[in-house]
Amino acid sequence: MSQNAGKEYEQLRISGLHAFYGESHVLHGIELIVNRGELVTLLGRNGAGRSTTLKAIMNMVGRRTGSIMINGEETMSCAPHNIARLGVGYCPEHRGIFASLSVQENLTLPPVVRSGGMSLEEIYSMFPNLYERRFSQGTKLSGGEQQMLALARILRTGANMLLLDEITEGLAPVIVEKLGEVLLALKKKGLTIILVEQNFHFAAPLADRHYVVEHGQIVEEVSASELHAKQSVLDGYLGV
Amino acid sequence: MRRWVENDNVDMVAGLVASSVTIATTKVLEENNKLGLVNGSAASSITNEHCTPNHIHYAYDTYPLANGTAGAIVKEGGKTWYILTADYAFGHSMEKDVTAVVEKNGGEVIGSIRHPFPTPDFSSFILQAQASGADVIALANAGADTTNAITTAAEFGVTQAGQTIAGLVVFLTDVHALGTEVAQGLQLTTGWYWDMNDEARAWSDRFMEETGARPTMVHAGIYSSTIQYLNAIEKTGSDDSQIVRKQMMDTPINDMFATNGRIREDGRMVHDMYLAEVKTPEESSGEWDLYKIVRTIPADEAFRPLADSSCKLVSSK
Amino acid sequence: MSMIFGVPMAVLYGQLLIGVINGAFYALLSLGLAVIFGLLKIINFAHGAMYMLGAMGTVILFDTLGVNYWVALFLAPVLVGTVGVLIEYFLLRRIAGQDHIYSLLLTFGVALIMQGILTNIYGVSGLRYSMPDVFKGGVNLGFMFLPFYRAWVIVAALIVCFGTWFMIEKTKLGAYLRAGTEDSQLMQGFGINVPLLVSLTYGFGVMLAAFAGVLAAPIYSVTPVMGSHILIVVFAVVVIGGLGSIGGAIITGILMGVVEGLTKTFYPPASSAVIFLVMVVVLMVRPSGLFGKEA
Ligand SMILES: Nc1ncnc2c1ncn2[C@@H]1O[C@H](COP(=O)(O)OP(=O)(O)OP(=O)(O)O)[C@@H](O)[C@H]1O
Ligand SMILES: [Mg+2]
Repeated sequence: MSQNAGKEYEQLRISGLHAFYGESHVLHGIELIVNRGELVTLLGRNGAGRSTTLKAIMNMVGRRTGSIMINGEETMSCAPHNIARLGVGYCPEHRGIFASLSVQENLTLPPVVRSGGMSLEEIYSMFPNLYERRFSQGTKLSGGEQQMLALARILRTGANMLLLDEITEGLAPVIVEKLGEVLLALKKKGLTIILVEQNFHFAAPLADRHYVVEHGQIVEEVSASELHAKQSVLDGYLGV
Repeated sequence: MRRWVENDNVDMVAGLVASSVTIATTKVLEENNKLGLVNGSAASSITNEHCTPNHIHYAYDTYPLANGTAGAIVKEGGKTWYILTADYAFGHSMEKDVTAVVEKNGGEVIGSIRHPFPTPDFSSFILQAQASGADVIALANAGADTTNAITTAAEFGVTQAGQTIAGLVVFLTDVHALGTEVAQGLQLTTGWYWDMNDEARAWSDRFMEETGARPTMVHAGIYSSTIQYLNAIEKTGSDDSQIVRKQMMDTPINDMFATNGRIREDGRMVHDMYLAEVKTPEESSGEWDLYKIVRTIPADEAFRPLADSSCKLVSSK
Repeated sequence: MSMIFGVPMAVLYGQLLIGVINGAFYALLSLGLAVIFGLLKIINFAHGAMYMLGAMGTVILFDTLGVNYWVALFLAPVLVGTVGVLIEYFLLRRIAGQDHIYSLLLTFGVALIMQGILTNIYGVSGLRYSMPDVFKGGVNLGFMFLPFYRAWVIVAALIVCFGTWFMIEKTKLGAYLRAGTEDSQLMQGFGINVPLLVSLTYGFGVMLAAFAGVLAAPIYSVTPVMGSHILIVVFAVVVIGGLGSIGGAIITGILMGVVEGLTKTFYPPASSAVIFLVMVVVLMVRPSGLFGKEA
């Protein structure tokens, strides 16, 4: 991968990452780099280890070895609650909306970790649905609204690197389109985004680069410009 | 216990507290022909249906406690009674004894309530006793239940409202725990009080030096009975239980513990008992200055008469 | 005077009030248990010991340092809360995530050790704590004489219960607690120091127990074993209410105090068993408890 692109800033560098859930060995030496302002996807089949890669970055798996540098800082010995403080916003698979909290409480739950996050008003004007239903129970929202909530709550924190796991899962095309617009807007603001995505058609036009994960390893890296040329290779990996 | 007597050849056992344990122990003593000196236990059955030629019940029992306290209070005008009874064997028999004494003296028991044992909170029961309007609220319970009931009664203004509390099994240590503020005016029967005469006081001072507390009638009883036992051995030159017992029965007891004391054929040591009243905080000059003796109950009047005894050792039976 | 089942109405009102007073203690204690269970997922068998420590602490602080009631009301819970935080940090944390039986045995062991040590020093016969002077006396309500102190118990317990409920249901800190109860790992991912939250929660839960202990000191007999008696009842209360419901713990606590009080009036011998009877019935009809979420 090219290291000569002038003032490029490595926001994330993962090397030789292994991860385990108890006895089961899930990641087998992940290597990847994400520069500031990039939108990178992790593609792969079910069970390939993409969600686990994000969780490993968050220090949410049983055991890890290898190296994860965030903003040039080694984080392997960092306590889980200190990762977010480095400017990382995590949107888990299945959204992680809290049932015992109202929409607004869900939204304001994650502490602000950096300045420059969106204010509550900005968020409500971006997602008017959330404003209307701000006092209802978090899990009483529709699936799409919950997805917006899960995304919105990390935008408030000022995180400048977002780890988004399957945010389009089970959503109607209109909402998917809307989420795409949101991501583009965030990218324009300079945020770094790592997107775990099943829906390649959603991810393709947004992403700068794609990593393909298989059996806990990165098996292919494709930049947006190579997409056309490598389409068949990708199709092979993803089993499309 | 059995091991002490049978294997270790122990000749005499003193102390003995819980009545049920005491009764079981005396059977072992009888089988082995040893001697037991009972002080801590309360049940009067120990020298009644459960008497043996191998033990002596020394300091007190439930009979004079019920008789002394309840009798005195009825005579002073407490005609109607409400009894709070601990819901187990001891409480039931106490309730029976008290009812008998009250009725014999012309009083009337207008209600009673059986509370679980132990009861940490007496407010509900005190409230009911209060509502009964009885002159006297009697506590047929012991230990923490008694002190809890008395504390709660004071809190709910029972005595201010004109009702009298009668504690039936109340020790010096209980009153000390309650304090005069709460326990003042409480009437009780005791076999001994540390401040009742010079001899008792002198002995209690020595006890206080050793332990930091004033002795109860049980402490004094243990000491006195042990001395009596050792004197008897010295006199007779024997440690055979029956020879010693006979010698002890033949010797009147007048010491730091007992006045007019003598050991009857049923094994009951009878002596003068005392009706005491707890001092008010103003009357009390110190932490342990707790009782004033209101009346001396002569030995013959205090304990269950031999005529009413069901003890197998009583010759008239 | 009107009667119900041979009991005068006046006596009945009195018993209801007494029931509410005792229920206030149950409410405080079961509230603490529920808070702890929510976040730590452990059943705190040391809860009774913490209640006892609150009461014993009040007496000991007074006897040794002359600390008065009002200071003790604040100081004893803080000290006991600190002990709780240390217990969480040094002991409970090590077995977090293991089978329930470990935390059960550990907290039970801690309770026995505390009881044992204090029994060795103070015996079991009970310490005396004089009623603070301002509370001496009472007011005649017509149907009963209400000692000022008992009235204070209701007021203090209700304030603390309501404050706790408000804190948990309506504040940011409470939102952390509720969210942590659901998914503490995700909370960490958001940058919230969950281990600290867990320590503080345990400390807070046992503080509630200690506060109940201070309230109890002037009216119940203060002994090293006082906690073990009440704990069993409180467990039954918690089972009836359904673990994990804050409001449910409070309401059930007071309700069970009343049920017990009425039993003491109508059929006293059953009064120590009635709560367990209710528990059995509730478990048969609604296994998740009156206020628990249906499984
Ligand atoms: N909590 C867990 N405990 C044990 N094994 C797990 C756990 N979570 C995931 N795994 C295993 O780790 C492997 C990778 O899972 P991961 O969730 O990372 O897959 P994924 O690439 O995100 O796939 P998907 O598209 O299904 O979300 C799978 O084989 C899965 O069975
Ligand atoms: Mg996944």
